[in-house]
Amino acid sequence: MTKKYETEAPGYTMTTVMEEAARCLLCHDAPCSAACPAHTDPAKFIRSVRFRNVKGAAETIRENNALGAICARVCPTEKYCELACSRSGIDVPIDIGGIQRYVTDFEQAADMHILHKGDSNGMHIAIIGSGPAGLQSATTLLEKGYSVDIYEKNAKAGGYLTYGIPEYRLPSNIVDYEIKRITDMGANIHFNTVIGQDITMDQLKADNDAVIVAIGASEAKILPIFENNDAVETAVSFLARTKEAKGNIELPKDALVIGGGDVAMDVVTTLKNLGVEHVTDAAYEQFDEFRASKKELAGAEREGVTIIDGYIPESVDGHTVTLKHRHINSKMTIEADAIILAIGQETNAKNLGIRLEHGEAPSAGYKTRDPKVFITGDIAQGDKTVVYAVQKGKEVADEIDSILGGNRHD
Amino acid sequence: MINKDLSIDFLGVHFENPFCLSSSPVGNCYEMCAKAFDEGWGGIVFKTIGPEDFEIDEVSPRFDELTKEGTPFVAFKNMEQIAEHPLKQNLADLKKLKENYPDKVVIASIMGPTEEDWEELARLVTEAGADMIEMNLSCPQMTSHAMGSDVGSNPPLVEKYCKAVKRGSDLPMMAKMTPNITDMVPAAKAAMAGGADGIATINTVKSIANVDLEKKTALPIVNGKSSISGLSGKAVKPIALRFIQQLRVASGLEQLPISGIGGIETWEDAVEFILMGSTTLQVTTSVMQYGYRIVEDMKNGLMHYMEEQGVEHLSELVGLANKNIVPAEDLDRNYKMYPEIDWDKCIGCGRCFISCYDGAHQAISWDEKTRRPSIDTSKCVGCHLCALVCPVHAIHPGKIVMKEGREGDPSKIDVVSQRLN
Ligand SMILES: Cc1cc2nc3c(=O)[nH]c(=O)nc-3n(C[C@H](O)[C@H](O)[C@H](O)COP(=O)(O)OP(=O)(O)OC[C@H]3O[C@@H](n4cnc5c(N)ncnc54)[C@H](O)[C@@H]3O)c2cc1C
Ligand SMILES: Cc1cc2nc3c(=O)[nH]c(=O)nc-3n(C[C@H](O)[C@H](O)[C@H](O)COP(=O)(O)O)c2cc1C
Ligand code: SF4
Ligand code: SF4
Ligand code: SF4
Repeated sequence: MTKKYETEAPGYTMTTVMEEAARCLLCHDAPCSAACPAHTDPAKFIRSVRFRNVKGAAETIRENNALGAICARVCPTEKYCELACSRSGIDVPIDIGGIQRYVTDFEQAADMHILHKGDSNGMHIAIIGSGPAGLQSATTLLEKGYSVDIYEKNAKAGGYLTYGIPEYRLPSNIVDYEIKRITDMGANIHFNTVIGQDITMDQLKADNDAVIVAIGASEAKILPIFENNDAVETAVSFLARTKEAKGNIELPKDALVIGGGDVAMDVVTTLKNLGVEHVTDAAYEQFDEFRASKKELAGAEREGVTIIDGYIPESVDGHTVTLKHRHINSKMTIEADAIILAIGQETNAKNLGIRLEHGEAPSAGYKTRDPKVFITGDIAQGDKTVVYAVQKGKEVADEIDSILGGNRHD
Repeated sequence: MINKDLSIDFLGVHFENPFCLSSSPVGNCYEMCAKAFDEGWGGIVFKTIGPEDFEIDEVSPRFDELTKEGTPFVAFKNMEQIAEHPLKQNLADLKKLKENYPDKVVIASIMGPTEEDWEELARLVTEAGADMIEMNLSCPQMTSHAMGSDVGSNPPLVEKYCKAVKRGSDLPMMAKMTPNITDMVPAAKAAMAGGADGIATINTVKSIANVDLEKKTALPIVNGKSSISGLSGKAVKPIALRFIQQLRVASGLEQLPISGIGGIETWEDAVEFILMGSTTLQVTTSVMQYGYRIVEDMKNGLMHYMEEQGVEHLSELVGLANKNIVPAEDLDRNYKMYPEIDWDKCIGCGRCFISCYDGAHQAISWDEKTRRPSIDTSKCVGCHLCALVCPVHAIHPGKIVMKEGREGDPSKIDVVSQRLN
């Protein structure tokens, strides 16, 4: 059953991508491009496809977004570019993510090398965390001529790209390839290294011209009633070990998943894909206030997941959870072999000397009280998505460059 | 982003890239041409300028389009004549363009009913500062038979008018030819004999694109009636390429300098015209449909192509295909190639079966249960109609065999195209 978990939906061919690109209205002052958080410029790359210039399309994507092939697959496009698409006035928006995927697949097949390290300006930047924000800031800094060291607590780079988003939505070979482009440019990644433990923050500051903290929210939240229960696992732990084992894990007979966001949808869909017959999801939100994207919710429903909306866990006894409706007088008891908690992630910034409130910087922007230390990614204010992490990565790099004046060496 | 030198010399004039607006409403005034230059075009052929006393009186509406399935602008039909602005203003625009864009190429298109008019117009545009002259001998919808394609299909007149232009100006000059003739060679030779330095081709093809079934006249309907007039755009590309090939291989016209025109809209179209022997390229219809911005992808795509081909100067590509297009009697007819079906791609639509039965040689049979085709090589003639109709490109070149009693090594036979699909 791992085949289903490992297999991505098929992409476009040149003929079918042209059909989709031909639906694009080639808008003036295109709203899709204005709505892409990372300024990937979909209107420009779709136009290049329309005029059969796939290489030019790849250049547009790559120069604006070092994780273009990943964004093509995981962006909640319904909230960003496709939400703005003018074509909705006629029927349905252009499949921008799909076209972006075609172009970046072409780029990979043609082995294009679009990004290059700039001439060295002699300055060094340390980045803590190799998630999307860390990777994009590394890329932008390398292009500007900085040398870059990334410190990663895990054995592999990518943050939630590698240890979160399931294989059928984001194949690991795509993630590995995107990371390889960046290491090929000269990014130096130190694995299995926890900053604040293996190396101190003071040490990093002393050795570098600036330090970027891009640690994301890499730890799972747990409700007190579920603590010290062997039947309970967190969503990110479950998704990480499943992705690492390529789906070859020991399966529970049935499962109850708590949570109503995209992470919960990833867990239930993964369980179903792997062959767990009875999967139930209990969500705090009712359907009319659901947090998960429509695409992800539809995916879970298609797989036949039972979704119970509006319920919160009240008590638990071993494998048996009692749930209570938030508004109406209703309770139910569900027994499950596995109980998986998808109620959110939190940040662990121990010994890093930065101030966060609810896992996020207290004010907008990327500066901290320490002029040498910057933050980016999920711990900076703004949406918690990959494409936002990309934009925040570019912006923090630009900000550092404007302060350090690396531009002078251009 | 890739960046390569696209510059090329044509008739002694240096173009920063080969892409030019062709003479038409897309280059009708100073502001339009300036915007086109700003967006990256290498040159412009200004809308054809006529003599002061020639009155332009246009119809309304004046365009029609040929469509196919969902595709608009497969071809475009127009009933326009030449520049409607006064001569003085056109000359002032040319002058200002050259002053403000000294590195770009400004080409004046001219047309007149008499030798004196041609000579005088040539003198005036030269004074205005144009880099080159293009003689419009080819507009198919002029209201005077002393001008337009009736002239371009009459070699003695072509020669006479070319001589007149050469008397009025020593600028490099190209004669713009009409495709509304069986053989363009005599007209081109007459132009060269008259002193033309090169040829621009094609102008529009005389046409009726659509007929209104109620009004029983062609489109567009001009107060109840319509006329035959010029067709342009993608559908005329094959006609343009054919004329260019014929000019390039005609004896006496070898290495003829050509500015290629007709249906160019992508970098691939552009490369096709260059390989066929065009040094510069001219575009109208796709600009009318999409705007000047299309030059971005044409330039960028061309750069990538040069990179792939290991070509440093565009001029190395000019005419490379000419020698590979040979008379039909010189083609290798000793083998046939069977189609091969990729079962991972086949979706079982049956289109190949229908086309092979109804349009070819009944060589494909159809399994109704599995919904899959199979090819009978004893009947298949290797025409590859099936491959063209397959919607998912599941059919590709397969085994090559020599025809009975013919000599040859099938492994050396080359039929594979690199085109993306
Ligand atoms: C299951 C799941 C599915 C998701 N699906 C989507 C989706 O479909 N689309 C989308 O746009 N977003 C999605 N997201 C959100 C997205 O993954 C995040 O917004 C994004 O990864 C944030 O990037 P980041 O670089 O800030 O942090 P992260 O990706 O969290 O990376 C942080 C990195 O820092 C490392 N680190 C932490 N502390 C230290 C330390 N002290 N020393 C060294 N290294 C450290 C971590 O190991 C990690 O590799 C999903 C998230 C999850 C959990
Ligand atoms: C509306 C319209 C007006 C044109 N006017 C002129 C003209 O004034 N002079 C000229 O030489 N060609 C004229 N042409 C022909 C074009 O310059 C060009 O030769 C032809 O359209 C083929 O190129 P295309 O397929 O890129 O449009 C005109 C074409 C169109 C569509
Ligand atoms: S990066 Fe994401 S949001 Fe931006 S255009 Fe591509 S798919 Fe849309
Ligand atoms: S908004 Fe939609 S229709 Fe307009 S350019 Fe963007 S993708 Fe095309
Ligand atoms: S046309 Fe192609 S897809 Fe359709 S049946 Fe034939 S081989 Fe299969």
